[in-house]
Amino acid sequence: MQFDWTGILTGAPLEWLKTGIVTTLVVTVVGSLLAALLTLGLLSLRLAGQKSLRALAVGITELFRNTPILVQILFWYFGAYNLLPRGWRDWINDDHPWATLPGNVPLLSPEFIASAWGLGLFTAVFVTEEIRAGLAAVSPGQSEAALSQGFSRWQTLRHVLLPQALSNAFQPVVGQFLNLMKLSSLATAIGLWEITYQVRQIESYNSHALEAFAAGTLLYLTIGLIMGRALLLLDPAKRRPLTPAPQPVEVRDAV
Amino acid sequence: MLFDPNVILGNLDYLLWGRMAQGEPGGLLLTLLLSLSAGIASLGLGIPMGLLAWSRPGPIRQTLFWWADLIRGIPLIFVIFWVYFLVPALLGRDVPGSLSVILALAWFTSAAVMYSTVAGLDALPKGQWEAAQASGMSRLQALRWVLLPQALRNLRPSFVGLFISLIKDTSLAFILNVPELTTVAGQVNNRTQLYPTEIFLFTAALYFLLCGGLARLGQATSRVK
Repeated sequence: MQFDWTGILTGAPLEWLKTGIVTTLVVTVVGSLLAALLTLGLLSLRLAGQKSLRALAVGITELFRNTPILVQILFWYFGAYNLLPRGWRDWINDDHPWATLPGNVPLLSPEFIASAWGLGLFTAVFVTEEIRAGLAAVSPGQSEAALSQGFSRWQTLRHVLLPQALSNAFQPVVGQFLNLMKLSSLATAIGLWEITYQVRQIESYNSHALEAFAAGTLLYLTIGLIMGRALLLLDPAKRRPLTPAPQPVEVRDAV
Repeated sequence: MLFDPNVILGNLDYLLWGRMAQGEPGGLLLTLLLSLSAGIASLGLGIPMGLLAWSRPGPIRQTLFWWADLIRGIPLIFVIFWVYFLVPALLGRDVPGSLSVILALAWFTSAAVMYSTVAGLDALPKGQWEAAQASGMSRLQALRWVLLPQALRNLRPSFVGLFISLIKDTSLAFILNVPELTTVAGQVNNRTQLYPTEIFLFTAALYFLLCGGLARLGQATSRVK
């Protein structure tokens, strides 16, 4: 087998790859931010007092865990997107000079919205489950000690249980965000111009399949490696001792 | 907007078993066939790899883990591309898309099976190994008759989870136009144009019943033990 890199590292294919890298990176970042926000929402539903809210969270979790992400992306793109108000869709389809990549590639597009949203929601469901597992691993004594110190239920959760849960679940949570980056390759199915889409485009353009696949593989490995390292720097276990929680004032009053 | 069931009813047989009458299974049936074949192959590949990694610390174990991490580090879609591209080049003849998908999924999932198997063997109490050795068993006998049966029983829930992921992963056969459930749903959507919500909700419901049902079954069996 002979490698001929000029077929992908010059001219149009090189430009396509650059566009692909930026698109993959941006959809990963936006999808991850959405995932973090949706995790907060799902987690509050899960920890809510009302039974109906907890049931809603369980329903959402089961639904999105037991269907393929590809089908979810197809649903958001072909089905749900068209239910958005007309005005929103017109705005999305307008020209946005601030979100246009070289070569006149629009970054803000129905494909981008459907991909970032689909990936974000799917990932949020899994991250929530990881954090719940982390919460379950905190010993019950922690919660009892906090409550007996006069912490409210919310303070106990916020300052005692969640920091430990996050610390317990940190590695698997990082794994889920890395998975989001890899899963963004599926957005090629709805025509998002990310790395996988560009690799297939090069293959049909000049048949340099071997080089194009190798370049794509290396790009995902490299992005994953850098992203993994960067996320592990945020590991709360590395920043111990934890910042002291505020003193529960009520206790002093009571004593 | 109303849900129009006619588009589902009119294409139901195509979504469920494709062109079965012409001898080409498709739809949900092909999804099941792909999952089962890839599932069996990934166990056949992953368990021996796990045994090897567990019993041969050092370079062999490191190479196996390096290999597994490499596969897990790239998107599954690229594993499919590589198999689709390399297997015909190695064999010197065309390989049907469905076989490429089975091989790629088996390869991808075997890495996870290997990890689970090693973890399952590590989790057994040390006394099991020592007792087997003390009774005069060879390393191979101890693995085959004492450790592996216990590890595999404990690993059942983990394998059920992997199989559920595998069913969902068969949807990537879409990329090679292999007519499993997601591909035929896409075809029906392209043909009818007007009913994407109905078609993809129904498709999702089929996957949900299959995967959610299996998850329930897995929980039930792991409680019985």
